[in-house]
Amino acid sequence: MVALARKTLIHEWRRYLPASLAVAFSGMLLLVQLALVFGIFNGAAVYINASRGQIWAGYPGTQSIDSGRSIPRDAEMHLLMDPQVAQVEPFQWVNGDWRGKRALGSVSVFISGVDTAPDALAFARVIPPALRALLNEPDAIIVDRADLPKLGIRVGESGILNGFRVRLVGTTNGLRALGGVNIVASLATARRLNVGGDPRPAYYVARLRDPQQAAAVAARLDPHERGRRYSVWTASALAARTVHYWLFETGAGLGVVFMSLVVFLVGTVITSQTLMGAVAGSISEYATLNALGASHRALSRVVMEQAGWVGLAGLVGGGVLSALVLVLAQGQDVPVAITATGILACAALVMGITLLSGLLAVRTLRNADPARLLR
Amino acid sequence: MSATMSPAPAISARDLAKSFTVGKVSTRVLEGLSVELAGGELTLLSGPSGCGKSTLLAILSGLERPDRGSVAALGEPVWELNRKELQRFRLHHIGFVFQGFNLFPALNSVEQVELPLSYLDLGAAETRRRAEAALEEVGLGHRRKLRPAELSGGEKQRVAIARALAKRPQLLFADEPTSALDSVSGQTVIDILHRAARQHGTMVLCASHDPRLIAHADRVLRMEDGRVLADEHTLHPAAAGEPAA
Repeated sequence: MVALARKTLIHEWRRYLPASLAVAFSGMLLLVQLALVFGIFNGAAVYINASRGQIWAGYPGTQSIDSGRSIPRDAEMHLLMDPQVAQVEPFQWVNGDWRGKRALGSVSVFISGVDTAPDALAFARVIPPALRALLNEPDAIIVDRADLPKLGIRVGESGILNGFRVRLVGTTNGLRALGGVNIVASLATARRLNVGGDPRPAYYVARLRDPQQAAAVAARLDPHERGRRYSVWTASALAARTVHYWLFETGAGLGVVFMSLVVFLVGTVITSQTLMGAVAGSISEYATLNALGASHRALSRVVMEQAGWVGLAGLVGGGVLSALVLVLAQGQDVPVAITATGILACAALVMGITLLSGLLAVRTLRNADPARLLR
Repeated sequence: MSATMSPAPAISARDLAKSFTVGKVSTRVLEGLSVELAGGELTLLSGPSGCGKSTLLAILSGLERPDRGSVAALGEPVWELNRKELQRFRLHHIGFVFQGFNLFPALNSVEQVELPLSYLDLGAAETRRRAEAALEEVGLGHRRKLRPAELSGGEKQRVAIARALAKRPQLLFADEPTSALDSVSGQTVIDILHRAARQHGTMVLCASHDPRLIAHADRVLRMEDGRVLADEHTLHPAAAGEPAA
């Protein structure tokens, strides 16, 4: 079999290059957009993702971790009674109002009160034990490095938080929040800053002996009775609830879908136009083949194969472009996150662009009427 | 193989009529034309442009449906076949040579010839063998690795003829095959077509207004205004069909 599709692609690569570039850039736009949105909205679940526990207990029906309310202290005992649970610690949630030294006005902040033990679970992934120990100092706080300009403060300096003077003892990376600044303090400091609020914690975090059992443990620990005063989730379930809440309740999710449609449309228009131009440029040759007995289906296969190769080249190009952009973004502290499912979804959309463009180009083959060669 | 006389004509067309409508103007191109064409003969269809020779070629070769009339090619009622059957019929029995050579720029000569053969499911070895034999036949065996851009006009047309001949068609249609060529190349091309008719018993129908070709044709059909005005057997007056128009 003569590899007409491939040989033509290689021989006339300049003709097909715009199509591959359109596919590559569409793929990059789709992926980077998704990575940015996931990155930003993962910030909403940073409390969960940056912590080590597998189980969270919180107020029933909590849709997003930042809307947590105090729960009874007996939740801690209830969790500890399960043989799988190895460790439980409270997680205090306080809304705050920050005034820095400079004239930056007030900044809305979220205060997380955490255990300061070296093996504590909350924010264990972003606050190493040495840094955490600094929180034992009264009124000590830790923030994300990227939030310093917003707060107008440097390490060692003080600011006013909920009317109390607090001191920044250190910074870390990976604490950025959505719609505010995250401030980490010890449980004692957080309680002091929680003026007039409920002194009970909003969450309890638990570590299991076998992390694989998280789903089963959460299911048996979740009080099912009516009128329950707290619920139990796996960490991933609470994180997913939170990201989902922010994605869809804020309209950002629809925005992603809408932007993806726009990218899909633009990619398809450019790719299909290029492929149609290529088919139109060879229409006499296709018509001759048809005259000699090659079916329209056989000719369509050639065009679809070309579309497939163009898409594959675009997919590889788009992958490389996306990787470069994501690495660049990460280097600049731009929140980006991408999952395998996200990459697969983007790849599927890109191949969808290619497939649709190929089908549109196949329609151009209708003009491959050999009778026209005789007029 | 020597020139053979088929008892039945390779093509027999009866009462063909065709008109084209452009806007509100309808033009009659063919008017009740009947013709029979024999295998082993090179028939030249000559006449001024617009006289209907290309249309007749298209109708006889199964590319353009007539408004009226019938065509029997190798005993098959061509215009009673459906699109798929017609395509199969063309694949197995018909070769075409067009004025524009219509070669794929990306393929070398042997691949150009192999391409239509590949739809016959002959197997790679037989396909290659036939393609190389066809290129040898048109005298281009030594040019088989060259792409169209590296060939002269005459050589391109010879590749196109090899592409048509490699299928070993019983019917070969050529539309103005020499009009884009210089006289030497044109001479070579018409010789090849003539040889194909003689050696393989192929019916070759060649539409052309190139007067140089007349001397090489076995039979000349002179057309004007959609009718055959004259039917002359030249070198070998052994045609099977009688003029009907």
